[in-house]
Amino acid sequence: MDALTTALKVASSGLSAQSQRLRVVSENLANAQSTGDTPGADPYRRKTITFAAELDKVSGGSTVSVLKVNRDPTDFPLEYLPGHEAADANGYVKMPNVNPLIEMADVSEANRSYQANLQVIKQARNLISMTIDLMRNQ
Amino acid sequence: MQPVNLFKLASLQAEWLSVRQAAIAGNIANANTPGYRAVDVEPFEKVLARTSVSLTATNEGHFGSRAQEASFKTKEDDRTTAILPSDNTVVLESELMKSGEIARSFELNTAIVKAFHRMALMSVKV
Repeated sequence: MDALTTALKVASSGLSAQSQRLRVVSENLANAQSTGDTPGADPYRRKTITFAAELDKVSGGSTVSVLKVNRDPTDFPLEYLPGHEAADANGYVKMPNVNPLIEMADVSEANRSYQANLQVIKQARNLISMTIDLMRNQ
Repeated sequence: MQPVNLFKLASLQAEWLSVRQAAIAGNIANANTPGYRAVDVEPFEKVLARTSVSLTATNEGHFGSRAQEASFKTKEDDRTTAILPSDNTVVLESELMKSGEIARSFELNTAIVKAFHRMALMSVKV
């Protein structure tokens, strides 16, 4: 496999990894208010995603893949909502451990990385078309 | 016509540039991978120095007639140190700068080959 095709393949692996990261972030944001429905029940637990470099055996390029989607083990913040159906005996409800600010920062970072990968794809495509242009009738 | 070395040289450089582009693609794809170390390809001057002049062979059995397979060593880029707690040494900005550098060199390369090709064609076309 030639190097430019490898570059395209590696960059597309980056695109898919970053889009899966966006998926996890959107799951977290969508469930930022998902509490339990029985007294004292656990609410939605924040998901985290980790990447790992992987050697693509066919092309020799180091692609990226999602290593694991984990759960954030931090404590749930308590909110005093006595009328809520998930409130415990003291009237406290466990809220999901999702911090929208952290999630938005994660979105921005994923966005930047996605753009960088797209740039690589554009660049590699340009290089390929420059090579093909060599054969064009002048 | 004198055997001209330019096409071989140009294709060697184009190949080197593609390998470098692939290395940079790997770096950018792994920009958020914990513990990943950025890599780069050895400079083209080194590749040129390694590529020795081989004898022209007119027969398969001739000594040294085996086509030289160009190989480019990629190594860890030790000029940058990890600045992130995740121990990742990729700096997106410098990778994109390198990528732009590659695009310009490649453009120059193909332009030269094109010009040379036109010159070669002049002697063929009536």
